Amino acid sequence: MKAQRRNGWRDARVVFQKELRETLRDTRTLLIMVVVPVLLYPAILIASEQLALFGQRQLQREPAPVAVVGEVDPDVLEFLSGREDLLLVEVADPEDAVRSDSVSAVALFLYDAGLEESQTVSLIYDAADDWSRRGREVLSSALEEWGDTLLERRLTERGLPIGFARPLEVEDSSVALPEELGGYALGRFLPMLLVVMTLLGCFYPAIDLAAGEKERGTLETLLTAPIPPGQVVAGKFLTVTVVGLVAAALNLGSMLLTFQTGLFQLSQAFTIEFSLPFGSVMIIFATLFPLAILFGALFLGIAVRSHSFKEAQNALTPVYMLFILPALLPLFPGIEFTPALAVAPVAGVSLLFRELMVGGADPVLGSLALFSTLFYASAALVFAAHSFGREEVLFGEGRDAGKVGNGSGFLRGLRHSEPIHDLPGSRATLVFVGVVAVFYFYLAVRLQVGLGEKGLLVSELGLLLLPSLLFLRLGGFNPVKTLSLRRPTGRALLAALLIIAGGMPLAWLLAWLQSFVIEMPLEFLEGMSEFLVAETPARVVWILVLVALTPAVCEEVLFRGVLLAGTRRQFSPLGVILLNGLIFGAFHVPSATVFRFLPSATLGILLAWVVLRTRSIWPGMLMHFLNNGSIVILASSPWILERFSDPNQGPPIWLMVPAVASLVAGGVLLEREGP
Amino acid sequence: MIVLENLTKHYGELEAVSDLSLRVNPGEIYALLGPNGAGKTTALRCLATLLRPTSGTASVGGADVRQSPLTVRRRIGFLAASMGLYERLSARELVTYFGRLQGLDEERLRKRVDELAELFGLDDFRGRYCGRLSTGQRQRVALARAIVHDPSALILDEPTLGLDVLSGETIYRFMAEERSRGKAILFSTHQMAEVELLADRVGVLSRGRLVAEDTVDGLVRQTGARNLARAFLSLVEEGGHRPIGRDFGEDLVGSVTDGRE
Repeated sequence: MKAQRRNGWRDARVVFQKELRETLRDTRTLLIMVVVPVLLYPAILIASEQLALFGQRQLQREPAPVAVVGEVDPDVLEFLSGREDLLLVEVADPEDAVRSDSVSAVALFLYDAGLEESQTVSLIYDAADDWSRRGREVLSSALEEWGDTLLERRLTERGLPIGFARPLEVEDSSVALPEELGGYALGRFLPMLLVVMTLLGCFYPAIDLAAGEKERGTLETLLTAPIPPGQVVAGKFLTVTVVGLVAAALNLGSMLLTFQTGLFQLSQAFTIEFSLPFGSVMIIFATLFPLAILFGALFLGIAVRSHSFKEAQNALTPVYMLFILPALLPLFPGIEFTPALAVAPVAGVSLLFRELMVGGADPVLGSLALFSTLFYASAALVFAAHSFGREEVLFGEGRDAGKVGNGSGFLRGLRHSEPIHDLPGSRATLVFVGVVAVFYFYLAVRLQVGLGEKGLLVSELGLLLLPSLLFLRLGGFNPVKTLSLRRPTGRALLAALLIIAGGMPLAWLLAWLQSFVIEMPLEFLEGMSEFLVAETPARVVWILVLVALTPAVCEEVLFRGVLLAGTRRQFSPLGVILLNGLIFGAFHVPSATVFRFLPSATLGILLAWVVLRTRSIWPGMLMHFLNNGSIVILASSPWILERFSDPNQGPPIWLMVPAVASLVAGGVLLEREGP
Repeated sequence: MIVLENLTKHYGELEAVSDLSLRVNPGEIYALLGPNGAGKTTALRCLATLLRPTSGTASVGGADVRQSPLTVRRRIGFLAASMGLYERLSARELVTYFGRLQGLDEERLRKRVDELAELFGLDDFRGRYCGRLSTGQRQRVALARAIVHDPSALILDEPTLGLDVLSGETIYRFMAEERSRGKAILFSTHQMAEVELLADRVGVLSRGRLVAEDTVDGLVRQTGARNLARAFLSLVEEGGHRPIGRDFGEDLVGSVTDGRE
């Protein structure tokens, strides 16, 4: 049978239409996408509001039974008995009466005031009982009113004006318009809700369209149709994204309608108007697009690596939770929309939503949030397409075929326990590094603050080196192989020297470029330069031991020794190097600021590359020592310090030419060295 | 025509299919026999372009699975052991979907779906989603799906798995009919009876290797066995497979098949 000419996107469209049709027939997806936002959510909101109002009305309907005891002026009793909102009752024991609910509150007049004196009244009530709390409120406001009457009487007797006792009256006058107040309230929780609804909208369809399809065996059939895998991914991904977007849109629309049609009565009581300008709604939708793409593609890419619906759920839940955290940021007061947060995944979009709802966002920061999300979304798409293209991912075979047990690639990696012989397994290593990180993050800074320079030494030796050596000893791993204690060749050392000579100016350039996004921690730099100033040769040696030699040994043993050896059989060389750099960078964040992450991660990547290729830790230690040592020497140079402390001045451009040349030459030498 | 030449597929260090060569001519039914894990599904998946061969070639009508996978997919009708039906689509919707993916134009597709609906009785369960069909009904839908584009070659992985006699009969008739229309049919199975009934030639796989290839009679003669089941047992034992429980005493396969003879 002859087929018609193929149109590039026709297949993706066919897949999309079918997936959407099937998804819309799935009760679970419909429930999350339509029923929750359109019906359940406003229903819960209104019901809870009505219940609250009903409760209040119930409380206000009857006068509060209260008692007055102690040395009471008969005028007070007369004043109180004339009020409609309370009912005076006589009691013997005030506390017992409150506890037994005979009265809601009791005013205990401690002693009779003379004409000129102030009398103290103690209000006895039950703070854990709404009925009693209301009694206290009524009684308190009645007594305050009586106090005002008394004051007025005293002033009149002396012929003084009322203003005599109150020289200053303070009144609130907010310039916020009702719609701005609404924006403030909306901006707090709606961004979180939008992100969560988009996440939820993408969650189940992604699992169903990837892992579910694998589990039911339909993916195998689908992939024998004459369409490229990219079109299959595109169709599926479009479905997940559209469902996520629709869920978010329905939620936003339903929320706004709930507030604007007057269903939500509390807003009228507080003269708040919930409305969003059309332009802001459009921008929110525009930003939701890349966000939904990011979630959709990432979820699909992860879900297709799982073998079953349940396994995919387990794999996606931590990712889901990870995205919820930054979405919560607008809920906290005092979180500013800064460039660093604008480029943070999810956080940027969430804060942008808040700004738009409150009344307008900075266009530069808004664009930064939008484009960075687009960037993350593209990366997630590449990841998803890559996952669908791998046969071992699709059929759960490949290198583990024939072995018992399934699992998504990453989780399988974590679960896979390798035989303990020469090198530690990846699971044990990552758990170990995680434990070290927890102790290091909590203790290192405290040690350094508490003990000063010695604290630095103690944290390096006690928190990094010692645990690594214990890990090797207790795990029975071969220290020579794990730590790559192999004598390096001359070429390896030369490559290491060339790479660090080229890498340092590039790390400087990166740090400078980063300063446009993340504020440079000038106080930290000043503190460091003060610390690094050496007045005597002995002091120079001490600082070099402290800042260059100790980290070169302790950090290399942990990162390029244990971590590198533990991950190199599980991940690809590129994966090992990147992971090493990322973890190394993360370890440097708590001791300074997030500013150090990028330069440290770059150094970590270069070090891991060299050690992996040369199979020797010594070039790594040499590079690390030279890097840190150079900083000690350069920090004494006023010229360098000046350039560092002025964020507008970057490293000299001419320096980049020899730096890149040195890095490339080192790289070429290194690649010849490698296995 | 289906051609495999020295096809090898490794999963890491495991060699699932090793140096497999076979040819299925138009108008021929070729049965691939082998114990579980012998490499039948892997070989069929390589041919269906789902897996990439480690070495060797596989082609359908001259189109190579590696160089022209999309052409191969247009020429084959593939039926996986799992059937692979979408649970929330009706039979007609499912067949139409795959017809569209095969690039059929809407008018032709409508006619073709009507033809297939009549051939496989798809309208017997009109208005029900595939997830609610019986195994036999599902298999009918799966077959209609596999041939919606009228392919020149059929690759069927255990097409009668889990079917009752009646449904199995439908499949046999379908295969015989397709053979008479000049289709090259390659199928894998564990059922000796259907091999004897349908297959023009048989290939026996053991541990990824083709240990014998002949007609049913040829295999029986070649091994000196009384029937195909015994011939199969002796061939796979030579290939390194040994049935668990053989030491229990009785030759169960032999006696069951003898009883039918």
